[in-house]
Amino acid sequence: MTKNKERNYLLLVGGLIGILSIVLMLKGNPANMGFCIACFLRDTAGALKLHTAPVVQYLRPEIIGLVLGSFLISLGTKEFKVRGGSSPVLRFFMGMMLAIGALVFLGCPLRMVLRMAGGDLNAWVGLIGFILGVYAGTLYLKRGFSLGRNHGLGIAEGLAMPLFEVILLILLLAYPATLAFSTEGPGSQHAPIWLSLVIALVVGCTAQKTRLCQAGGIRDLIMFKDATLLWGSVALFATALVMNLIYGNFNFGFAGQPIAHTEHLWNILGLFIVGLISTLLGGCPMRQLVLAGTGNTDSAITVLGMMIGAAFAHNFGLASSGNGTTPAGRIATIVIIVIVLVIGLMNTRRQKA
Amino acid sequence: MAIKKQESIVITFPTTTAAMAFESTAQAAGVQGRLIPVPREISASCGMAWMSRQTAEKELTDFLNGEGAALEYMGRYELML
Repeated sequence: MTKNKERNYLLLVGGLIGILSIVLMLKGNPANMGFCIACFLRDTAGALKLHTAPVVQYLRPEIIGLVLGSFLISLGTKEFKVRGGSSPVLRFFMGMMLAIGALVFLGCPLRMVLRMAGGDLNAWVGLIGFILGVYAGTLYLKRGFSLGRNHGLGIAEGLAMPLFEVILLILLLAYPATLAFSTEGPGSQHAPIWLSLVIALVVGCTAQKTRLCQAGGIRDLIMFKDATLLWGSVALFATALVMNLIYGNFNFGFAGQPIAHTEHLWNILGLFIVGLISTLLGGCPMRQLVLAGTGNTDSAITVLGMMIGAAFAHNFGLASSGNGTTPAGRIATIVIIVIVLVIGLMNTRRQKA
Repeated sequence: MAIKKQESIVITFPTTTAAMAFESTAQAAGVQGRLIPVPREISASCGMAWMSRQTAEKELTDFLNGEGAALEYMGRYELML
């Protein structure tokens, strides 16, 4: 695949994901939240009663489908390769902190793009923080930041995450009574299970093939002056924007945006955390889910960390809401930034020239 | 964007740090090349690779046996890029 072909493929897939995200929203998912990895991991944590915030509990088939879609396609193309062991405990905690940062902003990088396409100017403000976060991450990478190399591992280790998602799917389909489901709020808004699942399988497959990643796109542009990966996010934005305009879901402005708040500083800092950690981990939340499906257990542990982080965010009142940030959330944001900067320094060694 | 494709040497690494170290050492030794995102043909995972259009096979082998002997890398490929 040449550079141009790769770019065209990313344009196609990014555009497709933009359209499918809006379809999910039109079919019942919350506003500007056709897809949001942080939000959906949070809802999943709620459904499993890892937290008990009544408005954000639903076992999102989108998460299951993304992992399984990527799993199936990587099996088919023989790209399923079990590897891991690169600082798993640090990755777990970094995943937790990433989720908390995302829930202070109210969205992962994917939802940031969808919010931008919905006319939500708060997301455009947040984008500044995201870019600064990725930029800070590249500075660490250039100075020799590394979580250590990964190694090949046994097949069972790689199957664990996809099989966990299969079990979640069985629970959702056969034993929904064992799960907690919101009766009001974002958690109660969802597209039909099968539609969510099928769309997520398609997105998982295509995202695996193209490596679509918001943080990666900006990182490649900064580090290599290579915009290939970024085109995926641009196309995603463009098609979502057009769909929103067609279906009358485009609301331009700061105030009254769905599941969003207008505290600029915390939107910026929340996404700064997301951009920085994503770059240090090598991918934004969606990319971590997709990699987890391909046998990357470093990503699998990150996904579990994000799920627990999302639960913490609600158990300890760190997550923002439409009413704005919380005092605890603001403190957590600052503490997390300090912790991650220190982790960055501790894992940076001068290059041996 | 009509950059002509050419036969290129691509080297992959176990970590980004190794890629960075490779680039700076190569540069210091006068071996031309640069870092790029890992080409899709080589791997579906993301990360950095080092590529060179100008460097000849022999020059690179000499470098890897000489100044670059201590460098860590994974694979060596020839691709049209």
